[in-house]
Amino acid sequence: MSMEDYDFLFKIVLIGNAGVGKTCLVRRFTQGLFPPGQGATIGVDFMIKTVEINGEKVKLQIWDTAGQERFRSITQSYYRSANALILTYDITCEESFRCLPEWLREIEQYASNKVITVLVGNKIDLADKREVSQQRAAEFSEAQDMYYLETSAKESDNVEKLFLDLACRLISEARQNTLVNNVSSPLPGEGKTQQADSSCCMAT
Amino acid sequence: MAADGGGSAVSALSMERIQSLTDLADLEAAYSRLCEEEKVVQEELDALLEQQSTIENKMVALHRMGPNLQLIEGDAQQLAGMITFTCNLAENVSSKVRQLDLAKNRLYQAIQRADDILDLKFCMDGVQTALRNEDYEQAAAHIHRYLSLDKSVIELSRQGKEGGIIDANLKLLQEAEQRLKTIVTEKFDTAMKQGDLPQVERFFKIFPLLGLHEEGLSKFSEYLCKQVANKAEENLQLVMGTDMSDRRAAVIFADTLTLLFEGIARIVETHQPIVETYYGPGRLYTLIKHLQVECDRQVEKVVDKFIKERDYHRQFQQVQNSMMRSASAEKIEPRELDPILTEVTLMNARSELYLRFIKRRIISDFEVGDSMASEEVKQEHQKYLDKLLNNCLLSRTMQELIGYYITMEEYFMRETVNKAVAMDSYEKGQLTSSMVDDVFYIVKKCIGRALSSSSIDCLCAMINHSTTELESDFREVLYNKLKQGFPATTFQDFQRGVTSAVNIMHSSLQQGKFDTKGIESTDEAKQSFLVTLNNVEVCSENIMTLKKTLESDCSKLLSQGFGGEQAQAKIDSCLSDMAAVSNKFRDLLQEGLNELNSTAIKPQVKPWINLFLSVSHNIEEEEFSDYEANDPWVQQFIVNLEQQMTEFKAGLSPVIYDTLTGLMTSLIAIELEKVLLKSTFSRLGGLQFDKELRSLIAYLTTVTTWTIRDKFARLSQMATILNLERVTEILDYWGPNSGPLTWRLTPAEVRQVLALRIDFRSEDIKRLRL
Repeated sequence: MSMEDYDFLFKIVLIGNAGVGKTCLVRRFTQGLFPPGQGATIGVDFMIKTVEINGEKVKLQIWDTAGQERFRSITQSYYRSANALILTYDITCEESFRCLPEWLREIEQYASNKVITVLVGNKIDLADKREVSQQRAAEFSEAQDMYYLETSAKESDNVEKLFLDLACRLISEARQNTLVNNVSSPLPGEGKTQQADSSCCMAT
Repeated sequence: MAADGGGSAVSALSMERIQSLTDLADLEAAYSRLCEEEKVVQEELDALLEQQSTIENKMVALHRMGPNLQLIEGDAQQLAGMITFTCNLAENVSSKVRQLDLAKNRLYQAIQRADDILDLKFCMDGVQTALRNEDYEQAAAHIHRYLSLDKSVIELSRQGKEGGIIDANLKLLQEAEQRLKTIVTEKFDTAMKQGDLPQVERFFKIFPLLGLHEEGLSKFSEYLCKQVANKAEENLQLVMGTDMSDRRAAVIFADTLTLLFEGIARIVETHQPIVETYYGPGRLYTLIKHLQVECDRQVEKVVDKFIKERDYHRQFQQVQNSMMRSASAEKIEPRELDPILTEVTLMNARSELYLRFIKRRIISDFEVGDSMASEEVKQEHQKYLDKLLNNCLLSRTMQELIGYYITMEEYFMRETVNKAVAMDSYEKGQLTSSMVDDVFYIVKKCIGRALSSSSIDCLCAMINHSTTELESDFREVLYNKLKQGFPATTFQDFQRGVTSAVNIMHSSLQQGKFDTKGIESTDEAKQSFLVTLNNVEVCSENIMTLKKTLESDCSKLLSQGFGGEQAQAKIDSCLSDMAAVSNKFRDLLQEGLNELNSTAIKPQVKPWINLFLSVSHNIEEEEFSDYEANDPWVQQFIVNLEQQMTEFKAGLSPVIYDTLTGLMTSLIAIELEKVLLKSTFSRLGGLQFDKELRSLIAYLTTVTTWTIRDKFARLSQMATILNLERVTEILDYWGPNSGPLTWRLTPAEVRQVLALRIDFRSEDIKRLRL
């Protein structure tokens, strides 16, 4: 048996303005915690969580980046190797939503063109302070061809779903790639028969 | 027992039964039975009678015991009475002891209180005297004593007969306390103004006695901060006067920061013992927090000067512009960035070192102070510390500088790599060209510089950028070179010549710009291709070496305590991404070799092999001996191969050459099999082929390190078949007779080869049962 005890390995990078709750989303998903009074992230943080999806072990390498401007050149260096980006904003903060186009430009510039981008509106537990309507965000994500989800790291709403759905999509994407260029397929998923992947996500 | 015996002694024969007996015999029988019964009863009675005396003895003994028992009863009653008495006595005594104890405690309390009251009086008097004598230590000691007195004592004293006097005295004492506080503060301020360290320290020690810990620390820090500020001002003045030819001129701002940090560290080192002794453990944090404010202020000044003097922001802006518009005319020369990049990393390294120093000091001071504290207090203190370290201006300023640095370093790397590619040169006799060594030198230098900043995030970012640079940009360069292909000789030479000529014209038109198409002749194109293959291989190796070197460098950095808890995991992840690029170069090498094999080797080797067809193998004795003297094919083929491979052997690294010969050998085996199946053979023709094949294998064995027998297994088996005397002889080698031989040919193929022998009849072959 190999040392690497997983079928798939994916890199997920969280980006977005400072204070939108990236670290809390990651903590909630990886440790089941919601640390109140979370300080600003310095540079990048790194967490690993292995999940099982349809009997396959999927190792998720989650890079939690600092939102502050001065760390931008550090965080940008992680875009290219990312399989997925979680672009996060705060539904109670108009400004964090208005910055999204700028983030998309960064993605365009630095990330691989195969990257999957998910738009996440966090802090839905603060519904009475909402500044960004669901409809606006849905329209925006549709226009940008992004998967869109609203979450609450505090109440643990949609956090599992966010990461697990993403893992599902990454798996089916990886399978398609191995089908397209079966000459060099470094992914360990090779050789397994293609199942009906598109239906696997929505159950969780 | 007797009664029991009586019961059972009732005869088995009832009276009625006896009276009803009429027969003599029956009567006799009844009589004898009754006699027997009587006998038994008699025996039982005897036994009972024997026990009588024993029982009587026991009865006598019991009677004798009677009086004794009465005696015992009397004694017991007496004893009980005595115990009750003793018990009462003890109860009495112990209650008296308790009363005594209480009295003693009260007495002690009274003494303590009297002492306290005396102390209070003593303090009242003492403070006045001490103040009059300007013996502030003594006065403070009195106040300290007063402050540590039980407040109820003071209350009590006021209730006494002399309440009035004490009240007045207390008021005096409180006034004295206030006065002392004012005096100490004033004296401290004066001493501070005069820079009189002994006096400063003298009053610094008095503050905690008056319960003014925070104030004392804050005042003392104020003094220390002033010292720091003065020194820093001096140093900054020195910087402005530094001659640009000075040895340290290029890193003068890093040096200035170093002096600042060293100064603060020295202050902490010197004054930590006083703080610990007079203020207790756990107070260092407060002192350093105050000092950090000054440190931040001075850092800001130095960094501002640095940004201004070195034109840091403008250079960054320029770099950013150059990166946005790649064809910008006023591209910044990467070499110009070199010194500033080094200085920034040095500045950050110094800051990290300093922050690590204060972190360690505060942690160990908290540890002493918190040894009995609850978990929450410890966590609280940890939070304070993290906040201080993460939020101080020093950290933020350095993060900002490093942020700019990374972009500039990335630019430096990319531009310098581009230069190395543009200036690529190849020296005869070398396997690789200059750019491989140059590129890896640059990458190593850039990552090394990032590493020297001691910032793990900065290092990881540069590893990531290097991975991108190698994987995308540099691999692309090599890929494009390989894409031009290896020019084939013979008739393709002509074609290539034409394109080359066009290319030369092109390149001369675009003078000054590196143009990979500017290859002057086929020879150069060939060489370029081979050199590129070597380059690709060396790249793949170099990446692995670089990864290993970085691993050991990083573990050194981490063992010194730099980086957070996830530092190792982050570095590992980034390095493993880098290592993955090595495989991409391997894949590229394989592609290149396949290209070489199909464009250069195959077109040459195929015609040489096809010549086999023109050599008849349907031969008789005479031709066979003629072939023996004048080899018709194989020798020339070997010579040709040898000639062709010399070129590759000289131009390729041993590993690549080996892989190439492997590819070539497979190719020969496949092609030769094709022509073989198109030929016809006589018995001697088969023998001739066998000889030819052996020569070929012998030659190829000498040029490869791989075993080639396997690749030629099918051909060798075909040769064996072509050498058979009769068709049926195959059965000596086939099936159960095959022995150690594993046939690589199917039965159909065996028949096909047998059919190549013109002297074998097809019916015989068909009849074979394989």
